[in-house]
Amino acid sequence: MIASERYWNPVLETLLRERIQRLQLKKFQRIFQWAYEHSKFHHKLYSDAGIEPGDIKTFDDMRRVPKMEKAMMRSAQIKEPYPYGDMLCVPLEQVTEYHQTSGTTGQPVYQPDTWQDWEWLAESWAYILYAHGFRNHDRVFIPFGYNIFIAFWAGHYAAEKIGCEVVPGGVLDTEARILKMKEVRATALIATPTYLLRMAEVARTKLGIDPAKDLYVTKIATGAEPGGSIPATKKRIEETWGAKLYEHSGATEMGAWNYECVAQCGLHVNEGLFLVEIEDIDTGELITESNRMGKMVITAFDRIAQPCVRFDSKDIIQWSPIDRCECGRTFRLIKGGVIGRADDITKVKGVLFAPTSVEEVVRGIPELGNEYEIIVDRKGEVDDITLRIELLPEHREKINAVQEELLRQLRIKTNLRYNLEFCDYGTLPRYEVKSKRFKDLRKGG
Amino acid sequence: MVEEYNIKLMAEKIETIRRTATELKSISGGIQAIDRNADRILASVKMMEINITDVVDIINMEQTE
Repeated sequence: MIASERYWNPVLETLLRERIQRLQLKKFQRIFQWAYEHSKFHHKLYSDAGIEPGDIKTFDDMRRVPKMEKAMMRSAQIKEPYPYGDMLCVPLEQVTEYHQTSGTTGQPVYQPDTWQDWEWLAESWAYILYAHGFRNHDRVFIPFGYNIFIAFWAGHYAAEKIGCEVVPGGVLDTEARILKMKEVRATALIATPTYLLRMAEVARTKLGIDPAKDLYVTKIATGAEPGGSIPATKKRIEETWGAKLYEHSGATEMGAWNYECVAQCGLHVNEGLFLVEIEDIDTGELITESNRMGKMVITAFDRIAQPCVRFDSKDIIQWSPIDRCECGRTFRLIKGGVIGRADDITKVKGVLFAPTSVEEVVRGIPELGNEYEIIVDRKGEVDDITLRIELLPEHREKINAVQEELLRQLRIKTNLRYNLEFCDYGTLPRYEVKSKRFKDLRKGG
Repeated sequence: MVEEYNIKLMAEKIETIRRTATELKSISGGIQAIDRNADRILASVKMMEINITDVVDIINMEQTE
């Protein structure tokens, strides 16, 4: 296969590492200057730190630039011009797109985009879908409630950009979506891991449709949750759908910054469009080595209405030990996707606990359903952790063996003891976009 | 792999499109049907600059150092 068929942009995706770094420095200087000159918020942030555009000459200089946080964005958006506040870098008349964050961690942040920004978001997604193997012969079904959340809007426009035929599954319910996918013989799909499992469950139990045998989907793009990089969840989805599952990560205020290629050995950071730094959670020290988890700080180089410059995302990631992916891309890989959020990774009984490790165990036990719920509470002075799961109806007689195996694996993976609650199949909450399966009642959550 | 493509010529053509679309806007007399569609062209031009022209600039910098 020639390079122009293998990559969305062979020039950028196979650029030598030294050139990528030069490009990143140049692009950082450009967006920093733009933000400094066009937004009161950024100007004040940088002036207070005693740094101005001419000071950025090296990567070390970039590290001196103060970080942005979501709370700062919320405060800035109280100011004029309404509703974006003084982070806005363009006249309001140039804003053509409104979206907002889901508000999982507080008051939603509004996201303005110019038409150029919107093209840019679709462009970043075109890198993603092309790397997943989406091509102009694909008919892509998007079972997404098109609304104020940015999620798969850009996936829609990127699929168009690639030349795919897009079938918007907007206001249809789950059953209607499955039937439509079957009717139009959709070959590709974009959805969250949670909803992929939900759709498969509805297809089997309510429509008698086996997605792996009765549908035509061969490739799926997923994101918005960690599931796509959790091996047991990925395996379950791929087997259920009889299709390859490819993951990417992104967020409203950052854009879509990484993607899995067909070699599936990690997620490539799109270093042509983003600068990703990983910092030690406690010390803020820069992490460049592989296999060491830290917090991501991200810069989007080309989004201009509301720039994202050294944004403290709180996402926990780690560099991959794989230097060069067999796909030939030179963009650096991260291992295991976004492992969690710094807010979610908490101490339980004095042990560092990531909810994703529980998902890995639950989804790896075939007798259990897809849904689960983790509840952490405090009994007196002691943390108490309960895991609610569903046993598949056909495996009811195996409850004791499953319980034993589940507790054993949880102890190995998380070093914690759990209270197990087996719920009737179908009674735990089902989600269509982002799930909320971790409840820390110690925080009033 | 960058050497396999004539990216300098591509960058020149991208610049020509930018110049032409900008000139078109300057003579449109404010006709929205021209201005708005030219803005869309310019947004696409920007994507091509991100994909090609920025890389050409880096290579040109190397050659002048």
